[in-house]
Amino acid sequence: MVKIKTDILIIGSGPAGLNAAYTAASHGANVIIVDEAITIGGQLKQQTQILNNLPGEFNSQRGFSLVDDFYERLKSLPITFLLRHTMIGIYKNNSIGVTNGKETFPITYKKLIIATGAAEEATIFPGWTLPGVMTIGAAQILLNREHVLPGNEAIILGFNEFSLEVGKQLESCGVNIKAIVAKGNYDVELFHEAKNVGIRVVSNATIISATGVNEVEKVVLNIDGIEEEHMVDLVCIGNRLSPILEAFEILSCQLAYQEDLGGLFPKYYNSLETTNTSVYVAGNAAGITNIGGILITGEIAAWNALYSLELLEYSQFKNRSRALWEQLYRIEESQVFKARIAAIKETYKDESLALPPFVELLLEEC
Amino acid sequence: MHINEHPIMNNHFNKDITFTYQGQTFIAREGQTLAAALFANGIKKLGVSRKFHKPRGLFCANGRCTSCFVTVNGLDHVLSCMTLVEEGMVIEANNSDPTVRSGQN
Repeated sequence: MVKIKTDILIIGSGPAGLNAAYTAASHGANVIIVDEAITIGGQLKQQTQILNNLPGEFNSQRGFSLVDDFYERLKSLPITFLLRHTMIGIYKNNSIGVTNGKETFPITYKKLIIATGAAEEATIFPGWTLPGVMTIGAAQILLNREHVLPGNEAIILGFNEFSLEVGKQLESCGVNIKAIVAKGNYDVELFHEAKNVGIRVVSNATIISATGVNEVEKVVLNIDGIEEEHMVDLVCIGNRLSPILEAFEILSCQLAYQEDLGGLFPKYYNSLETTNTSVYVAGNAAGITNIGGILITGEIAAWNALYSLELLEYSQFKNRSRALWEQLYRIEESQVFKARIAAIKETYKDESLALPPFVELLLEEC
Repeated sequence: MHINEHPIMNNHFNKDITFTYQGQTFIAREGQTLAAALFANGIKKLGVSRKFHKPRGLFCANGRCTSCFVTVNGLDHVLSCMTLVEEGMVIEANNSDPTVRSGQN
């Protein structure tokens, strides 16, 4: 049996995990990253849109090219990648149990950073399980990672920045988007963006049903009380994201709820340490945010893990931590940042600990 | 359908390989997942649900929803969205519960 030891173990090789790994390994820590996927990058791999809200040290670029950027940054550092490996449990001595489907073995760590990211929530309607009905993220994976056309005639359910972006990407590959179905009233700015590229958005609308013999063939919409039929071979569900929690559940980390962070998430302090000592959270798993927030929380978690491993001087740690939180404040959407700080305040309160003056200050700022 | 000229990305597939699904031979690109290779060949239904035998296929493409199970070289319940297609792979639909193996297998 393989026996592995490391300073910092990271679960997830998306942008948060990769930035945490870069930070940790470039300050003297040994790092192992575990990811069940075939290659690193998480959901960045199929992002063809240009990412503008990146922290200063990154050039504005497309998501998939940021993965290459990371690959270059990481290749000379002491990092072991265990791809196609899944965290499936813990041993009695707190080692993490990892499997590749053939063998299962423990990894002993000093600090654990969980960056499992987020999952797309489904929207349920009659026929939602038919082949040809998929999440908007799945359609984007087929299109950009697999170079496979997910359909020819499509309906998108759910109108948000991401569903419109993927809608545009689908159209650029020749898919006809018949309509984007918006539940309530849409965001006016987003609506104009859709209109400019010739994508029809219907508001106050729902899918009554999707039908077909072995795959989706027809969708009936209810648009403000009026029924409309469409022959389609693709239905994309563009719902919200929520943090992926299994790893935290396995580790008995306490959970909390914040609507603006995507629902349930692991409780954490401003160190991004969860209620399970030595277990940190980063990225969308710590609350749904933008790419900037994902990268910065990865770095914050790594700095705190490094400091508690005594690999950093106090002043170096303190200054960088502050700078990172201020950067996070500027880069994240204000309601997300507010929810995050409120959540941290709750954690301190629940554990009957005094809120650090620094967090108090951040609270006042927002 | 395979996309031959992607509007933004370079073509990162450079080799065609063959596999079979339900006994029929198909062409995939090396580096694609099973789910994508099947989808590219027009195969969307990958199995049926356990109780009502309703069609099932790719849904999340991320290894979480378990809607895209197939049998690969005799091994049941393989996530087609998380497994790369290989030359000569024998893939079958997930149309019933797997046989429970016994002994050292």
